Amino acid sequence: MLKWIMATAFTAGMLAGSVLPGHADVLDDIKARGTLVVGVKADYKPFGFRDPSGAIIGLEPDLAADVAKRLGVKLELVPVVSANRMEFLAQGKIDLMIATMSDKPERRKIVQAIEPLYYADFVNVLLPKGSPIKKWEDLAGKKLCGTTGAWYNKTVAEKYGPEVSAFDGSDKPLLSLKGGDCAGYVYDQTYIVGKLLDPDWKDGYAMPLPGILETPWSINVKLGEEKFAKFMTDTSIDWMKKGTIVDLEKKWSVPATEYAARMHEKYK
Amino acid sequence: MLRFSDAFAPSAVRVTSRAALAVSALVFVGSSAMAAAGSAHDSVLTILIRWAPLLLSGFLFNLLISVLSMAVGTLAGIPLGMMQLSSLRPLARLGYYLTQFFRNAPWLVLLFICVMLLPFEFRVAGLRIPFPDWVKAVVGFSLPAMANVSEILRGAVLSVPTGQWESAESLGFNRRQTMFQIILPQCIKRMLPPWMNLYSLITMSTVTASVVGVSEMLTMTAQVHAAEGSRPELLAPLYSFAMLCFFVYAYPIGKWTEYLERKYQVKD
Repeated sequence: MLKWIMATAFTAGMLAGSVLPGHADVLDDIKARGTLVVGVKADYKPFGFRDPSGAIIGLEPDLAADVAKRLGVKLELVPVVSANRMEFLAQGKIDLMIATMSDKPERRKIVQAIEPLYYADFVNVLLPKGSPIKKWEDLAGKKLCGTTGAWYNKTVAEKYGPEVSAFDGSDKPLLSLKGGDCAGYVYDQTYIVGKLLDPDWKDGYAMPLPGILETPWSINVKLGEEKFAKFMTDTSIDWMKKGTIVDLEKKWSVPATEYAARMHEKYK
Repeated sequence: MLRFSDAFAPSAVRVTSRAALAVSALVFVGSSAMAAAGSAHDSVLTILIRWAPLLLSGFLFNLLISVLSMAVGTLAGIPLGMMQLSSLRPLARLGYYLTQFFRNAPWLVLLFICVMLLPFEFRVAGLRIPFPDWVKAVVGFSLPAMANVSEILRGAVLSVPTGQWESAESLGFNRRQTMFQIILPQCIKRMLPPWMNLYSLITMSTVTASVVGVSEMLTMTAQVHAAEGSRPELLAPLYSFAMLCFFVYAYPIGKWTEYLERKYQVKD
């Protein structure tokens, strides 16, 4: 019900937003006001989260800071959630969105994704240390825990032959894994990575398999902001050239993803 | 005729608040003990102390929103209530319909409409006036507050025995004079308890602003939970802390309301 209300309200908001007169060019606006406003997550460790002072820190705020530095303006971070991030951008409330958003064709109709895509999430498995599973094929016939609604549960089951039993949310499958009811937990790699930063999981568990089913994430600008989009494309290419994202992964203890390494190789 | 007082029975308020205190204290102590039981993590108390300044700054935000909403709601609700009591038929009908509309609309829906449809900034003569989400939330909560104040006023005026109107008329007061010099002064004390009850309700409901991304206490609690690695055992202590804050604030208001209700009890 809540979701429905939100969807309706946001759609209404977007319609209202689209009839308002558009302004000149966001890049000029940013320079005129001297501040770049970036929407980031504040509840997605280590990509964007709060420190006890209330500041939002993480891999994505670092990227945002880099963009502000390139523009020579101050940075303002606005916490966003999945439900409002595209709306904020379409409204012009934020200039740029770097908020763990998967790139999807239907989303490109609402906001403009910046190519080359800056990051990619994968599907991976959280396994107990010392597990006999060394490659995806070893999962055949094993019981895996998963989260209801994850699109890849079926794909993994069909391709590699494990039996995936799905639970609501991520706390229940994690509890089952701890209780030894399943051989591993198949979920978003970025989430598993976050879990492995937790002392409770770091010691007994690991993520030894390579990520599969790459899901790229996109940084977005408002539709039609060609100048800013071009600037962001150049920035993205420069990050890949310098290996900025590879470095940030190290800084925030995110295990190196194959995507970041590959893009760094490609543009080096 | 005393519509306003039977809506919020004082005895029910008392029972609920005592039970809430007991439950929240139990949950808090119990969960703290559970979470403390043997792990490499900081104790729950350490975590709460670390994040308390941020969480309490979120709580102050709730209080700010509640006070402003109540102020705006009262300033708008009194004229609306007077409109309902107008001897001009169309004006009274309009007042009635406006009151009924906003009194019967779900608060969350009103909040959504305000947050989504109001612009994030106004431009007046080239000047940018920001209109942040929390201000929109104030507007969103003011609307139901206004309608309820309108109804409280109407109830209070109608609760004054009709004999008073008749006596005033026989003394040569006209309708306006009777209203402002005789009836309304008697209404203030009748309105005070339900008005304070309404304030408590508004304060409690300010947490719904978290759904629209206002950085109030509930939003902060969720972000703190994420920053502490989303450990399920932290959920109960963190949210209990939020509950305690609201309780400690609202309980004295409830007690005071009860006292005033007893003191101003209408004996006719």
